[in-house]
Amino acid sequence: MSTLVPFEFDDARAMHTGRGRRSSPTSWRWRDRIALVLAWSAGITLCLIAGAIVAYFAFRGVQYLRPSLLFSRPQASTSQAGSGGFLDPLLGTMLLTAVGIVLALPLAVTSAVWISEYGRPKWLSRAIESCIEIVAGTPDIVIALFGLAVFQLSFMGPFSFKASGGGVYGRSFLAAGAMMSLIALPPIFAATRDGLQAVPAHLREAAFALGKTRVTTIRRVLLPSVRSNMATGVTLGISRIIGDTAIVVLLLGESLRLESQGSVPGVGLLRGTGSTLTSFVFDNSPAGEGAAPQKAYAAAVVLLLFVLCLNLLVERIGRHQERATGLSVATGAV
Amino acid sequence: MPPVLARLRKPWPDTRAERTLGAVSCLVGVLVVGMVAFVAVHAWPTFEHNGLSWLGSGPSPESAFEKMQSTGVDAPASAYHLRAWPLLYGTLLTTVVAVAFASVVSLFASIFIVELAPERLRRLTIPVIRLLASVPSVVYGLIGVLVLVPFVGNHLVTAAEKESVASSIELTGAGLLVTVVILTVMIAPIMIALTCEALAAVPSSWREGAIALGLNPLRAILAVTVRAARPAIVAAAVLATGRALGEAIMISMVSGGRAFTPNLDHGLLIFLYSPLRTFASTIVDFREGLSAPALGSSLYAIALLLLLGGFVLSVCGYLIKLPLRRYQVRG
Amino acid sequence: MQGIRRLSVALAVAGVLGAAAPVAANAATTITISGATASYPLVSLLAQKYVKLHPHKIKFKIAQGGAQVGINDVAAGRVTIGDVSRDPLETDPPHLVFYPIAKYGICVITNKSNPLANLTSAQLISIFTGKTRSWSGIPGASASGTVDLITRTSVAGVLTNFQTLLLENKKVSSVASEQSSEGLMRQTVESDPNAIGFVSNYQSDKGGVHAVSVNGVACNKSTVTSGTYPGVAKFYEVTKKEATGAAAAFIGWIRNSSAARKIISTQWVPVT
Repeated sequence: MSTLVPFEFDDARAMHTGRGRRSSPTSWRWRDRIALVLAWSAGITLCLIAGAIVAYFAFRGVQYLRPSLLFSRPQASTSQAGSGGFLDPLLGTMLLTAVGIVLALPLAVTSAVWISEYGRPKWLSRAIESCIEIVAGTPDIVIALFGLAVFQLSFMGPFSFKASGGGVYGRSFLAAGAMMSLIALPPIFAATRDGLQAVPAHLREAAFALGKTRVTTIRRVLLPSVRSNMATGVTLGISRIIGDTAIVVLLLGESLRLESQGSVPGVGLLRGTGSTLTSFVFDNSPAGEGAAPQKAYAAAVVLLLFVLCLNLLVERIGRHQERATGLSVATGAV
Repeated sequence: MPPVLARLRKPWPDTRAERTLGAVSCLVGVLVVGMVAFVAVHAWPTFEHNGLSWLGSGPSPESAFEKMQSTGVDAPASAYHLRAWPLLYGTLLTTVVAVAFASVVSLFASIFIVELAPERLRRLTIPVIRLLASVPSVVYGLIGVLVLVPFVGNHLVTAAEKESVASSIELTGAGLLVTVVILTVMIAPIMIALTCEALAAVPSSWREGAIALGLNPLRAILAVTVRAARPAIVAAAVLATGRALGEAIMISMVSGGRAFTPNLDHGLLIFLYSPLRTFASTIVDFREGLSAPALGSSLYAIALLLLLGGFVLSVCGYLIKLPLRRYQVRG
Repeated sequence: MQGIRRLSVALAVAGVLGAAAPVAANAATTITISGATASYPLVSLLAQKYVKLHPHKIKFKIAQGGAQVGINDVAAGRVTIGDVSRDPLETDPPHLVFYPIAKYGICVITNKSNPLANLTSAQLISIFTGKTRSWSGIPGASASGTVDLITRTSVAGVLTNFQTLLLENKKVSSVASEQSSEGLMRQTVESDPNAIGFVSNYQSDKGGVHAVSVNGVACNKSTVTSGTYPGVAKFYEVTKKEATGAAAAFIGWIRNSSAARKIISTQWVPVT
């Protein structure tokens, strides 16, 4: 699971903007001096670690990443030179993210709207909020196992593939996408709900005063005003989906290329198996088949670039919303 | 146009909208309840055969899994035998040690970010924390298995150490040390973000009052701000524990893949280099054997325990966050 | 406005149906295979060739996991064919049919910096059962220190055959670190100067590791073909009851056609 975390606080807190003379650390007790050193080293170490990770992957990326890798299809081969690129995993990542968000967005927005605008009976609304928190706190490996249990039921054949022995394969883009929607649901829900609760009451009251029903108010007034929150939530959800490996490894069939299933073109692709950047990195690392660490590095660099861009996007949306309405975007830590 | 369609196209009355939206929301609830029920139903057979001694110690889990897979699809009752204590021990060990380290590191890093850092450096740390929090676990695992494990295995583990435990385990570098280090780096950003928010939400007048009474600035922070934000710090630790518990892919890549209970018999260094296995990494490692019903049931049992663990941690986090309302700290 | 909308809808429907029609006309059959990592390279190459010979008619889904996983999946009906790298055992589920497709050799491998020339059966047994734990007790070894034993996980058919053929039915010591696939086994031995393990001759012939002779006989394709090497085993394709339909056609093609024989002969030995 990858999370984007909230990180806004008042900048005027720094103690060195205070007036008057500060006591210098040389006059402190030993305990406090050690604490000062620890605090500084903790902060610097964290920055160094992040810098090391970025530098290491930049170095490996320059070494191994070629534009041709992004556009050539992977091939089953025993040597690194002949094994092609990772176009299919790249497409797989995008397809899986699309399926996950398409399934999660209506569900999350509907629940958020119902809980913040209606929410009767109270116990039901609390129960549903708790359920979504449970999903947020569930490890992705458990969600993946649950997905496997559900999609290998005999009547779930149309969602993947039924082998001639009668067993349902249970692994496809639909299966993985359905479970990814569970992963993306909490961020979108939390962001939308917080946005709706932050909408000032006078907007709603003005709409009611004009004679609008609640439904119309939601549709025409409230939802458009929380668009930024929804966008932030969706971006957080996308970043969680892109970074998730456990669900892909268990539920996507891990075939090197996108293999569609059945004869109908679009649906066949969804029923078929494939791989994503994350499972590609896993399979090519010494934990998978280990044959191609160079490809693993290249794919990992692309993955990191995706995640960094999504980070920047979230910040951009947050700043834009603040400028536009003066309301700060609530980003959930879920 | 048929009358049903015409009715749907007109603006909806509030009652119908409320009921429809409520039904869709309940779907989410039903899904979650269904998930718990499903996992529990699949997990029941192994608990039925083993009872509470499922968590006890006995023959190694790997030999139990081997027996489950070799008996295949028609598994007799004896095939369900499993003693998962080494897995539980590995899970608890990695989680507790990583959260302990991360708590200390995050506390000091948060104090640094909120109070001590010069302006430019503080502006730098926000993207740094965001970056560390959003790196996918498979990338952390890649760094671990391609950089840290060979480093530990080739440069830190001495031949003498390898020989001293040669009769029971092999020290390849993949083990407790690398697992805990990477897990700490993974969960620290979450804790730092929450702790920073909590520290920043404590009114600065409290700290200034302490300074006015003669405390030096750092002591003032430790004695006043940190104390006041204690519930939030604990809540952050609980959230981080949930994350550490469920980490599967990274741990599967760097933990050595051997259900062993690291102990201090041979000293601290060997303890740190020992391989181990956690609950989540077991599911990843044995995911292909689900056709054997005994193995499948065992894996679902592990998943059920993880689910319950996550649930208990969520409840604890909620209970701890209740006093936070006082400071209007979002968390 | 209405007219344009209706026209565009009609065109869209016609387009979708037009695209779907020829694809629906050749609905391809899918054969699912899972099982041994040792035979995976061979079966992938055979499947690739078979698809080339019968375009648009057949598709393959090949997964790995280990020989035992293949057997369990076939018995459970999850896959059509199982790749198995060991002989049938009494504990196997009933009604499984084993079709041999190729022969391979199990080579003992060490790191390139430790080119051990030969091991007798007695030495092999003593090393792999954990009696000899140090390289100093093994004549001809250039490595020093502890012997890093690498083995396969319990689901591997290669492990079963290794124990039966080369260890005289003794079991590999529990000290050994388990690798879940042939590729990982080779990688581990390649990167650890003190390691010793075992792989199929396909993996050891790829280079990067040193293949040790057993009882004076080297392990390579020619000694496997002639049968002088003691550790020769068979790859099987396993189906639940007799193979029918597309699976039967594929297995028949593997065993009878010259194209398949040519592919098998590159690194393995056809079953005559």
